[in-house]
Amino acid sequence: MITLEGVTKVYRMGKVEVPALRGVDLHVDEGEFVAIIGASGSGKSTLMNILGCLDVPTGGRYVLQGIDVAELDDNQLALVRNRLVGFVFQSFNLIPRVSAVHNVEMPLIYSGIRRDRRARALAALEAVGLGDRAEHQPSELSGGQQQRVAIARALITDPAILLADEPTGNLDTESSRDIMRLFVELNREGRTVILITHEPDIAAYAQRVVRLRDGLIVADERSPAAAHVPEGGWR
Amino acid sequence: MSVLEALRVAWSGLAANRLRSGLTMLGILIGVGAVILLVAVGNGASAAVQQQIQALGSNLIVVFPGSATSGGVQQGFGSASTLTMADVQALQNRQNAPDVAAAIPNTQGRAQVTYASQNWATSLTGTTQDFPSVRNYQVAEGQFFSANQVAADAKVVVLGATVAQNLFPGGQDPIGQSVFINRQAFQVIGVLAPKGTSGFTNQDDFVAVPITSAWAYLLGGRNTNVQQIYVEARSQQAMQAAQSEVTDTLLQTHHISDPSQADFQVLNQADILNTASQATQILTILLGAIAAISLVVGGIGIMNIMLVTVTERTREIGIRKAIGARRSDVLLQFLIESMFLSAVGGVLGIVVGALGAAILPHLITGLTTVVSLPSVLLAFGVSVGIGLFFGIYPANRAARLNPIEALRYE
Ligand SMILES: Nc1ncnc2c1ncn2[C@@H]1O[C@H](COP(=O)(O)OP(=O)(O)OP(=O)(O)O)[C@@H](O)[C@H]1O
Ligand SMILES: [Mg+2]
Repeated sequence: MITLEGVTKVYRMGKVEVPALRGVDLHVDEGEFVAIIGASGSGKSTLMNILGCLDVPTGGRYVLQGIDVAELDDNQLALVRNRLVGFVFQSFNLIPRVSAVHNVEMPLIYSGIRRDRRARALAALEAVGLGDRAEHQPSELSGGQQQRVAIARALITDPAILLADEPTGNLDTESSRDIMRLFVELNREGRTVILITHEPDIAAYAQRVVRLRDGLIVADERSPAAAHVPEGGWR
Repeated sequence: MSVLEALRVAWSGLAANRLRSGLTMLGILIGVGAVILLVAVGNGASAAVQQQIQALGSNLIVVFPGSATSGGVQQGFGSASTLTMADVQALQNRQNAPDVAAAIPNTQGRAQVTYASQNWATSLTGTTQDFPSVRNYQVAEGQFFSANQVAADAKVVVLGATVAQNLFPGGQDPIGQSVFINRQAFQVIGVLAPKGTSGFTNQDDFVAVPITSAWAYLLGGRNTNVQQIYVEARSQQAMQAAQSEVTDTLLQTHHISDPSQADFQVLNQADILNTASQATQILTILLGAIAAISLVVGGIGIMNIMLVTVTERTREIGIRKAIGARRSDVLLQFLIESMFLSAVGGVLGIVVGALGAAILPHLITGLTTVVSLPSVLLAFGVSVGIGLFFGIYPANRAARLNPIEALRYE
């Protein structure tokens, strides 16, 4: 499903070159739950942005579902971001002054879907336990609630891959657990989930842990099963 | 994304920033309103001038003394005294000018008219018996002076309606009363029916006396010249024929063989109108240009706001791109936002301008306004165009942003 071959990323800041990724090889199969860990500045976000087609690699190859991403034009990349991957950010990135349900609806607008749009957005909010907050604006929601709105938005187009860059980074333990249970559930339904985290107990939800250091993968471990199988709902 | 969707997205973007959207619209509103209003004032002025000229009479030809120049009317009319009563008589001759219905001389002056304790400053017209028919006046009371009275330098006067009202405020019958014009006693023999105001001029504020009496008693006896000759053609169709007959006749009486050496000018109403409207058109263009400047300022305001909006909403653009917005979607959203601002501002500006044009004449007497459809359409078209033009740069800038760069923007 996802294959990276010798992917590099160099940020240019004036004359200084900052190598953020220095040759990453990674293969992720459909239905995997992967956690990416590593020290601050090790290149985790850089890698994630490339996986989500938000940024392009400087070198190497990125093949997503058999397509070499380098060959896609601007509109095709937008289509990939819209349909194929759902992205959850550490800082939620909801559009301010716009209701929760409208935020969730947004990807459907860009995919040109009109039928049942509002209903689907409401159902997605319901699924993350926020059915009663549909008309609230982001500023009227708690951090955990905002992140759940963001997850509902990432899922609304039913993407095969869910990418999350420190989704629990801004949340307390309780909200973090709710969010993680949600991810486990989504993974159970067959979605590929890749998430970045700093915290070992969050990484423990995943079946596979990839460790980055200085722009290189230094460890790639599979655990036989997820340590924390959520029992019951996450509400 | 359909245009309807784009409209909705743009609408929610505008609604999220109400105050700023309102202020931007205000800029365009003032610009468009100013264009509509000032052009209406200019049009009103030219309509007034047109009315005034048309009110001179129908099928009218005016002969001015002085040589014809390409510049035409702005050569001081009446400065040279080349027209005489003999010319008028020649034009009244059917043999010379079969298409001329009547010809009257006209000499103007100032008149101080007094009756009892009433005193009125007005203008004086020295003319002949055909004045009412040529200039479209009705005699309301008494009668106009006759050919005999003109021949006899009779000290008789016919009052314009305004003069009659002001000299005889008590409602006495003016007919038969003696009034003093520039200290000379004249007998009132008639009062004209009111014709009303045309443009800035009150057409009823004058007195008419036989031209011979004007020469003899009122204009210092120094000259016996005719300032203009008004000629009435038999019909609208006969205008052209009459005009050339007038020219030929006068060339003959003035013993001039080369028409380019003519010491008079024959103009019809259309000619006079043309010259006058040239002047008022310049006024309209000037006013329009001033207003257009404010419209451009409004447009720059839109660009300014859209640039600020794009910068301020860079993160939002990043989010939209991250969830699948294409370049064209972002472009469309911001273009529609700016065009919406300018179009709504334009419509409100038209309403305000039209209201202003309706109210202004009540505040300033003598001012007329005419809101013209072309100016409305033009102002609206220009304001939408401004939205498009000044929106494209910021919208394009927004659309080209790389999603991750936009997201990282603080
Ligand atoms: N836009 C940028 N311009 C220049 N350098 C950058 C940019 N983004 C990241 N870097 C650099 O690239 C390296 C990797 O950054 P990255 O954001 O991927 O780290 P990270 O692993 O996500 O760290 P953290 O855990 O703190 O989020 C860092 O050294 C960082 O300074
Ligand atoms: Mg990071």
